[in-house]
Amino acid sequence: MNASLAQRLADAVGPENVKTAPEDLAVYSFDAYSEGKLPAAVVIPSGTREVSAVVKIARELGEPVIARGAGTGLCGGAISVDGGGVVISFARMHRLLELDTANRRARVQPGLVNLQLSQQVASSRLFYAPDPASQRSSTIGGNIATNAGGPHCLSYGTTVNHVLALEVVDENGDVFTTDVDDAGYDLTAVLVGSEGTLGVVTSAWVRLLRSPESTRVWLAAFADIESASAAVSAIIGAGIIPTALEMMDAVIVKAVEAAFHAGYPTDAAAVLLIENAGFEDEMDAYEAALREITRKEGSLSWRAARTAAERDALWAGRKGAVGALGRVAPNYYTQDVTVPRSVLPKALRAVEVAASENDLVVGNVFHAGDGNLHPLLVYDKRDRRQVGAVLSTGDAILRAAIELGGTISGEHGIGYEKREAMTRVYSTEDLATMARVRDVFDPR
Amino acid sequence: MTTSRETPASVGELCAILRRCDGDGTKVTVVGGNTLRGMGFPPTGEELVLETSALKRIVSYSSADLTVAVQGGCTLKSLASRLKRDGQFVPFDAPKPGEATVGGTLAAGWLGPRRHRYGRPRDLIVGSSIVLADGTLAHAGGMVVKNVAGYDMSRLYVGSFGTLGVLVQANLKTIPLAQAARAFLAPLPEGTRSRAFAQVRTLAVEPSAALWIDGFEKEVPGEPGAEGRLFILLESSEALLERATRDLRSAIGRAGVPETRIIDARARDMLDGIIDAYISTLADRSVTYRVASPPDRSEACALGARDLVRRFALDADTIADIMNGDVVVRASRLETRDLSLKLQVLDDALHQAQPRARIIAGDHPSRGAFNVWGNDPPAIGRMRALKARFDPNAVLNPNRFIGGI
Ligand SMILES: Cc1cc2nc3c(=O)[nH]c(=O)nc-3n(C[C@H](O)[C@H](O)[C@H](O)COP(=O)(O)OP(=O)(O)OC[C@H]3O[C@@H](n4cnc5c(N)ncnc54)[C@H](O)[C@@H]3O)c2cc1C
Repeated sequence: MNASLAQRLADAVGPENVKTAPEDLAVYSFDAYSEGKLPAAVVIPSGTREVSAVVKIARELGEPVIARGAGTGLCGGAISVDGGGVVISFARMHRLLELDTANRRARVQPGLVNLQLSQQVASSRLFYAPDPASQRSSTIGGNIATNAGGPHCLSYGTTVNHVLALEVVDENGDVFTTDVDDAGYDLTAVLVGSEGTLGVVTSAWVRLLRSPESTRVWLAAFADIESASAAVSAIIGAGIIPTALEMMDAVIVKAVEAAFHAGYPTDAAAVLLIENAGFEDEMDAYEAALREITRKEGSLSWRAARTAAERDALWAGRKGAVGALGRVAPNYYTQDVTVPRSVLPKALRAVEVAASENDLVVGNVFHAGDGNLHPLLVYDKRDRRQVGAVLSTGDAILRAAIELGGTISGEHGIGYEKREAMTRVYSTEDLATMARVRDVFDPR
Repeated sequence: MTTSRETPASVGELCAILRRCDGDGTKVTVVGGNTLRGMGFPPTGEELVLETSALKRIVSYSSADLTVAVQGGCTLKSLASRLKRDGQFVPFDAPKPGEATVGGTLAAGWLGPRRHRYGRPRDLIVGSSIVLADGTLAHAGGMVVKNVAGYDMSRLYVGSFGTLGVLVQANLKTIPLAQAARAFLAPLPEGTRSRAFAQVRTLAVEPSAALWIDGFEKEVPGEPGAEGRLFILLESSEALLERATRDLRSAIGRAGVPETRIIDARARDMLDGIIDAYISTLADRSVTYRVASPPDRSEACALGARDLVRRFALDADTIADIMNGDVVVRASRLETRDLSLKLQVLDDALHQAQPRARIIAGDHPSRGAFNVWGNDPPAIGRMRALKARFDPNAVLNPNRFIGGI
């Protein structure tokens, strides 16, 4: 450990906000995707100026900077892969700085937890729309860096649609700002989703939406996964875009029921969780249309949540699904691909085939309305055969998604894991064009 | 200097032309429908006008996926008519859709009055093909609605004014047309404007578009009142329309506005007509600015801009977008004496008050000397670096964009 690094960081942010002891660093050496190595130091700055100072010090001493929100990322972006580097934690930069209710926007620090933002503006009858399943812990900064999506992004769009302006510390430690209303290039759009590779976000103006007047949640059960996915294609094909349209298969439903007793039918092969937010006046017509489509596609049952508590229970099952599976499986690996919505049935069949060929159990819980699949491959990491099977299944799913006209990541990101796979969807020229952007922000 | 014109019939041809120009330093002006020629600095020293109009195919349309891939030279209107057959649309809301192209509209970063509801064009693009200055054809994104593979290049091209490359294909999200559309037109009597703005902004069922129009009497139908006119477009399900109408009428009534005309037939066409007014010019005797302001300050911003124009003895025609906050103001004068001088002084004064005011229309010969894009944004250095990295020989639309780009 470089003594002058620790000392200079301590001078910049206060010694109590610098960690260098291996036992303290260990906590920061993994994220929800994988385990990396120990960074050289972790700093917890209190504001933009300190972030800037930290980046300058790291740069002078040749240490890479790694921004870290809650560490729920699934692309290995918040950890030190090769060891060393300075991790910047935003644990102390977690405030809502300004709330402009008249114009429905808020300025926030990057460490603010996603759900807390919605909670803090709820009394103004506003909410922040992007809602990753990790929203109880993931941060706005992490969401911005990964362009996080969530169930409600079907109708509201992903994080990038909700970021109005950014304050960023660049590779030299200098601060710059972007705003979607600025003339010139839309740098905000490039920064969102850049996985921290183009700079460190120190504050953001985000868009808030009005809380809906009325919200209804329904659950449709199906005898097989094919008819459930055909129903999704049919709903979207009919020009109906619910606020959320999520699918869970039997593996997930059983795990969820065991964990939460959410009230899902355990005899179904697949369920669709459908939400529409809007106005009471149109809800009955809406429900009738959805019900008709799902019936035509062979649904077994249709249930409407009658109370807010029932609604919350249905959602709690969905939001806790991955965790619930974690209780019954020693390990799991989440693949993340998107396909055009009309080929969902084919895509799910491909997932099934890939898993069974590799003798693996797969659970599906995903943003069906967006065509964004999350097959969860259940395995035991102590079993070398299973580890190999997970890798080849994951790869087969990627291949199938690409063949169906889809992409290799819908929301979790590329990180280290899918770097190589980028060449399967993009040509050398395409990638070189992206590299031109990278050169401008980080010439090293 | 001679200017030549090329209208490549294929993307391959377009690549070859740019490769050649990049090699010999020929300056290229990229032209779509030429409807927004009033934006940006006028071309100077152009040697080749590159038209995209022959690249006008709808490459693929899957209505069940709510996505369409379309070539850059396709007009907004031909795209719209195709999508309409399947009950869908892309909310460009740009002027002169019969001439304006998809590529040009996206490159110009045009912002329409329904964006608070349907999103900005940059939020509708899910993939793109672009020909870079050196003739490289590069793709980004795809045909899926959620994609985080790589930097979001497609969004970067939106609003880049053809200075990073030529957008030859855009993959866009389509949106199902709402079942019902209804337009409202109301003259505003003395003392009602402020209340009308406030009432409209608090409606539970938000209008798809809400515009205050002052002037533009030739361009926009309907009798103006002492304080201009209010135009509102509601789009909703059939089930919601009656309630939305009732709420809207009583809100406008509370503002003290006695009469409202309801237009059901061709309600959306009426909006298109008003959007045309945004860029309507009095040939070389007008300049039109767009000023961005937060929605709750749109009225103040509109009045401020209008009064400033009048202070310099110019005529003002104004449109305020109540939902999004931006204001369009046209300064004109039929009498051409001293017009250049007046417009120049106005340009300075307007930018004092509104540093981000930008010109969107006007053929006035001295436009090139004005602050066409507004003051440089804070990240201008990075933008210049981006331009240098994409177009090192400054071949594409040189000096037409902000900050000398
Ligand atoms: C159970 C579970 C469910 C999930 N569900 C979803 C989901 O539904 N949708 C979805 O999109 N994702 C989901 N994720 C993935 C993850 O939660 C998101 O990617 C989230 O946005 C990461 O936020 P974070 O604060 O944890 O960021 P981290 O994991 O700490 O960091 C993620 C990336 O962001 C960068 N970063 C963090 N802060 C900043 C900053 N201020 N400036 C610049 N870069 C920064 C990091 O360097 C890293 O590259 C899920 C993860 C888990 C474990």
